[in-house]
Amino acid sequence: MAEFTFEAAGLGISFGGLKAVSGFGLKIHPEGLCGLIGPNGAGKTTVFNLMTGVYKPDQGTMTLGGQSLIGFAPYEIAKAGIARTFQNIRLMGDLSVLDNVLLSYHFREPYRYIDAILHTSRFQKNEAELKDRAVELLELMGLANRKDDQAKNLSYGNQRRLEIARALALRPKLLLLDEPAAGLNSKEKVDLMHTVSDIRDRFKVAILLIEHDMKLVMGICERITVLDHGEIIAEGTAKEIQENPKVIEAYLGVE
Amino acid sequence: MKYTQWIIFGLVIGAIWTLGFLFETNLNPYVVRVIVNCGIAMILAMSLNLVNGCAGQFSLGHAGFMGVGAYLSAAITTLLPVAFPQLSFLREPLGIGIAVVVGGFGAGIAGYLVGLPSLRLRGDYLAIVTLGFGEIIRIIFLNVDAVGGPRGLPGIPRESTFFWVYFWAFVTFLFLYRLMKSTYGRAILSIRENEIAAESMGIKVSHYKVVAFVISSFFAGIAGALFAHYQGFIDPATFNFNRSVDVVIMVVLGGMGSLSGALIGGIIVSLLPELLRMILFTMGGLPDTYRMVIFPLILIVLMLVRPVGLLGHKEIWDFFPSFKKKKGVKAHG
Repeated sequence: MAEFTFEAAGLGISFGGLKAVSGFGLKIHPEGLCGLIGPNGAGKTTVFNLMTGVYKPDQGTMTLGGQSLIGFAPYEIAKAGIARTFQNIRLMGDLSVLDNVLLSYHFREPYRYIDAILHTSRFQKNEAELKDRAVELLELMGLANRKDDQAKNLSYGNQRRLEIARALALRPKLLLLDEPAAGLNSKEKVDLMHTVSDIRDRFKVAILLIEHDMKLVMGICERITVLDHGEIIAEGTAKEIQENPKVIEAYLGVE
Repeated sequence: MKYTQWIIFGLVIGAIWTLGFLFETNLNPYVVRVIVNCGIAMILAMSLNLVNGCAGQFSLGHAGFMGVGAYLSAAITTLLPVAFPQLSFLREPLGIGIAVVVGGFGAGIAGYLVGLPSLRLRGDYLAIVTLGFGEIIRIIFLNVDAVGGPRGLPGIPRESTFFWVYFWAFVTFLFLYRLMKSTYGRAILSIRENEIAAESMGIKVSHYKVVAFVISSFFAGIAGALFAHYQGFIDPATFNFNRSVDVVIMVVLGGMGSLSGALIGGIIVSLLPELLRMILFTMGGLPDTYRMVIFPLILIVLMLVRPVGLLGHKEIWDFFPSFKKKKGVKAHG
């Protein structure tokens, strides 16, 4: 099962003179659930942007199932099997909830232009099939009854769920969640965390989670990486992290 | 079941033919001319809507591609038969039909060549670059003596009729409507909505920008070719910056990204000045130049009252839910 292990080593990028991330290494096994935490400005989202091709790393290697991802554009990374959500929600606001999910099936090219223009049987069959799949996914995320609404009219919590649904529709090997619980109330947070572990079991996908809320990360993540000033300061299980003096220092300061 | 869409398609074509026959035999030529210009404007507006409205890329060079279609098709039907007498069939309706399609493809290729480098730019920058390319295309026509240079190109067979213009308007409508309802349409819309997210969802944004641009240019070329064969005469000044702006106004007025909005915008922008001419005439004494003051005023008021355009992002049938099933038949409104 080692074929879709994600591995990064020595990843680094600097903006001008500022080293945003350096020497970042991470290994995520298939169906692993990992957390990435760190104080504000530690470089967590930059790591995500490196992993998804938004930024090109200055150094380092990054592979998924043995295939190098260095130099890939974001859409190529998505095809290779890494999907993500965004910290500041980036939905297609004017499109319907259903269309937002359907968009993720696009890269598999369900039919050709000519099928779409002439409404051939291939178009009708495949389009109906995609819609069924999308609705199924929306049902899982509790959004099926809102499928025809514009995405921008969803509540904040539902928008976060739609982002996850959309990322799952890519059928990724690795799902990156960027602060999925940000801005949710405590009940919604607990629900979301259940959803996250459900997703991992149901879709057999590895998950890497950025989160500020320590309790939540500690609760569900098997391994946690702590980032500060762009460098990894600790790596290990929840218990190890909690007791690590460097982590306590980064979060609470020294006496 | 399988052939239903073809039967409907045939019925619509028949309806357009009948309407064309009735109009051309009963209405005075001026009114027919206004209606035909309306149809050409609708094709232009629908095609530009794909780039400006759906893909969210602001292009200001649409007249240039219209010009490519017009000049290319006119060269085929007018200049080729002169140079090679054995090609005189090109002046017949069939030859002209071919020339119109070739004009469209020529404009599509021009769109590809222009779009490939310039679609890396965004917003204002893209607007300036497309404007520049539009002008370059016009200046080329102005300086190529083979197509008449500044004198223009006369003697084009006047074969595009009400029927052909509205036939193409219907084809454009159907093509763009079905494109936008497919996975490719969703990919194009996602560019407007959020480029970064689209890219992360596996959409090759740069590719679909060019696709939208090429399809848009193709239909602009068709419109130009129809225009050339309707007027019988074209000159470079016909395809100047003002015409590009006219088309942008149609799209913005109708609602960015709304196909039916583009139709309505096309009708209003080509019809309103003519209506105002009539109104001013019946009011007596008022010079007809006043319409060029009143028309922009109407546009300004409309934009203040409804900045998203008449229909916004929606289609006209979204306002009448029970109407939804009949959408295919709206092209010849």
